Amino acid sequence: MNAPIIDPLQGDFPEVIEEYLEHGVMKCIAFNRRGTLLAAGCSDGNCIIWDFETRGIAKELRDKDCIAAITSVCWSKYGHRILVSAADKSLTLWDVVSGERLTRTTLQQTPLQARLHPGSSTPSLCLACPLSSAPMIVDLNTGSTTILPVSIPDTGNGAVPQSRNKFSDGTPPFTPTAACFNKYGDLIYVGNSKGEILIIDHRTVQVQAMVPVSGSAVIKNIVFSRNGQYLLTNSNDRTIRIYENLLPFKDGLVVLDNLDKTLNELDGVEKLKAVGSKCLTLFREFQDSITKMHWKAPCFSGDGEWVIGGSASKGEHKIYIWDRAGHLVKILEGPKEALIDLAWHPVHPIVVSVSLTGFVYIWAKDYTENWSAFAPDFKELEENEEYVEREDEFDLVPETEKVKESDVNQDDEVDILTLEKNSAFSDSDMSQEELCFLPAIPSPDMPERQDKCVESSSKLVDSNQSGSPLSEEAEPNGHTANHASSPPEAEDAGGSRMKRKRKPSEKGLELQAEKVRKPKSSGRLSKVKNKSVVDQDNGNGFHGDDVSD
Amino acid sequence: MATDSEPSLPFKPYTLTQTLTGHKRAISSVKFSSSGRLLASSSADKTLRTYCLSNSDSNVDPIVSPLQEFHGHEQGVSDLAFSSDSRFLVSASDDKTLRLWDVQTGSLVKTLAGHTNYVFCVNFNPQSNMIVSGSFDETVRVWDVKSAKCLKVLPAHSDPVTSVDFNRDGSLIVSSSYDGLCRIWDAGTGHCMKTLIDDENPPVSFVKFSPNGKFLLVGTLDNTLRLWNYSTGKFLKTYTGHVNSKYCISSAFSITNGKYIVSGSEDNCLYLWELQTRKIVQKLEGHTDTAISVSCHPTQNMIASGALGNDKTVKIWTQDKD
Repeated sequence: MNAPIIDPLQGDFPEVIEEYLEHGVMKCIAFNRRGTLLAAGCSDGNCIIWDFETRGIAKELRDKDCIAAITSVCWSKYGHRILVSAADKSLTLWDVVSGERLTRTTLQQTPLQARLHPGSSTPSLCLACPLSSAPMIVDLNTGSTTILPVSIPDTGNGAVPQSRNKFSDGTPPFTPTAACFNKYGDLIYVGNSKGEILIIDHRTVQVQAMVPVSGSAVIKNIVFSRNGQYLLTNSNDRTIRIYENLLPFKDGLVVLDNLDKTLNELDGVEKLKAVGSKCLTLFREFQDSITKMHWKAPCFSGDGEWVIGGSASKGEHKIYIWDRAGHLVKILEGPKEALIDLAWHPVHPIVVSVSLTGFVYIWAKDYTENWSAFAPDFKELEENEEYVEREDEFDLVPETEKVKESDVNQDDEVDILTLEKNSAFSDSDMSQEELCFLPAIPSPDMPERQDKCVESSSKLVDSNQSGSPLSEEAEPNGHTANHASSPPEAEDAGGSRMKRKRKPSEKGLELQAEKVRKPKSSGRLSKVKNKSVVDQDNGNGFHGDDVSD
Repeated sequence: MATDSEPSLPFKPYTLTQTLTGHKRAISSVKFSSSGRLLASSSADKTLRTYCLSNSDSNVDPIVSPLQEFHGHEQGVSDLAFSSDSRFLVSASDDKTLRLWDVQTGSLVKTLAGHTNYVFCVNFNPQSNMIVSGSFDETVRVWDVKSAKCLKVLPAHSDPVTSVDFNRDGSLIVSSSYDGLCRIWDAGTGHCMKTLIDDENPPVSFVKFSPNGKFLLVGTLDNTLRLWNYSTGKFLKTYTGHVNSKYCISSAFSITNGKYIVSGSEDNCLYLWELQTRKIVQKLEGHTDTAISVSCHPTQNMIASGALGNDKTVKIWTQDKD
């Protein structure tokens, strides 16, 4: 995906809803490292893996033991494993390729978020943030849990006022804490209810540093950017703060150790604060000063240039996009359904949002046709230009030596084998094989279809898997209509073939924005419907029309 | 099998080691699988055939023996392609459909319908979750393998589309047509990225990405093969000497032992050019009709070729071993 001719504005941001995915009620999403697969956890306990390129379902991870809603889903570094946390207090680790369940751990409380250790490709450790207690490290093989400290003992600040711990909707006070791994997983950053970021070494479970967040409001989310350079906190005071990570990626612990030694004259909290000031610096703050809204699921873009946050207000689906300098660049508005999760594609300017109704919306750039790609010797003009003829423009000049010397030296060496490195993934450890896609196994056609001799029947029959019984009946009807309708609709981008002659052909153009109408068997199909804005040209409309006759 | 000129590397000539008969009409396409263990051929006799290569022992030329026959198309087949794991074959036919076959059992898995005229060329993407096809209806279609649905219809050309290919990571599609243009498309969005044109635009009969995806090998019906750098829009090498003015003859890169371009020709021979010097290093004779398709084995120094109606055979050529 690094070809130099693809639009260089890859680092741009999305503008409109391109498509939506539907399968049951999805609750949370996560992209794999390259963005080729999207994992979605559903309310019925299943995890669906979507092939993001074809927008179809690549795999379903079904667990008969788990029927509770999934609260979070997380990929391992190279995409071989998925960790799923559910409302029945369980953590399940899956092997993606085989679809097998590897381990299942039950905790004391429902984990709201679970993250696999990002340092290895087959991690056994994960970080779980339960509903109402401190985050913990869970060893998935043994099931043992290590609780992380959420506050520094003897803060010397006196009791924290009760109101600080309440959520804005007045739920009873408890100490929720957000936590995340840093890029290589050697440190854990915890954001507690006193508005402090604690940097913890996960092996010794010791707080190494502390960074107080201005405003001291409860921290609801804490997230690193993909390159590990920036950290984002979302606090109860309706502000998203961006911190710059000053620690080096691989030797963070060594640096912390050194700082610890050099700042020996300080003690306790003061020392931790001093160390902390060397680890993170506040970069920007984002808030909506007009509506003062709470934010939900904030995260970075793949390259860390943009920050997005969803509005936490119920009944609206708004996504705010800021550039890292703090300017609000766009507000995306979706259908009037609350937003529950948000993710930015690791490479492309695509944003995926999950609404309360369980749909996953895909936001992408609005495409304007680049006509000069079709006709390179023409130049696209923004507005009419006055053309001034040359003096000899229309003179008849005898064809002078029109030897077009190729300005290319054909003897130059041409290298057809060397590959270019993809700069977006420069840190990839090439010794590990990354899982980029799942093998696509086409579901076989029904056997009786194979002896159909008439070609038009094959068009009807093969378009829709589960619609096969219908298509048998539809044979006689579809037959005649097919022949009649194919020639005039051949020129269209194919959309109009969806509808037969009795529907006006401009419907085909509208098809881009409409849902695909499924035949009566839609009841059966509703589970596996992938709505696509791009036309589906295999005669689905025929079925519907035939059956409804 | 005369060696015409002195190449810079000592060139070992290819010799004919096997002739495979069986097809009842002209062959249209031959392809090796990505593992090199299978060979497949398609023909105007409406069938596909697969052959397996015996276990490759470095001292002995592998024997190619027939494996399966695939029946089902209602008209002749113009092109075929293996999926990356060699489990599936897709074929493009004049019956306006593409068919997906299970290689092991020989059974039809799916029929992809949608084109409104002969389907002429087909290819899998490297991830093998998408299929691209080009047709006489002037469009290029992208299909989802799993559901057999057409994902995109690209308004590619104004004349029959003769060849389609994916690049190495599956992000670009190239298509060529009798209208003289090669167009490059973004596989994800279906948007046109670039059109390659030159002063003259002879009908393009074949196009293929180089192994690293940076260059395009373009065959045109003026007896010329060119290597284009599509980013700059200029061609870097020209290969001539063969005859190609009527049929869509496919060519291939041979990279197992030095870098060469291999192509069939309407004078019944196969031509080998050295990539850099553009000199013809060998002319393989043996077919009795136009050699329409060539494929190079991915790891061994072996070429498979198929010829038209007067010949109807697939020939295997290997380099002499030391």
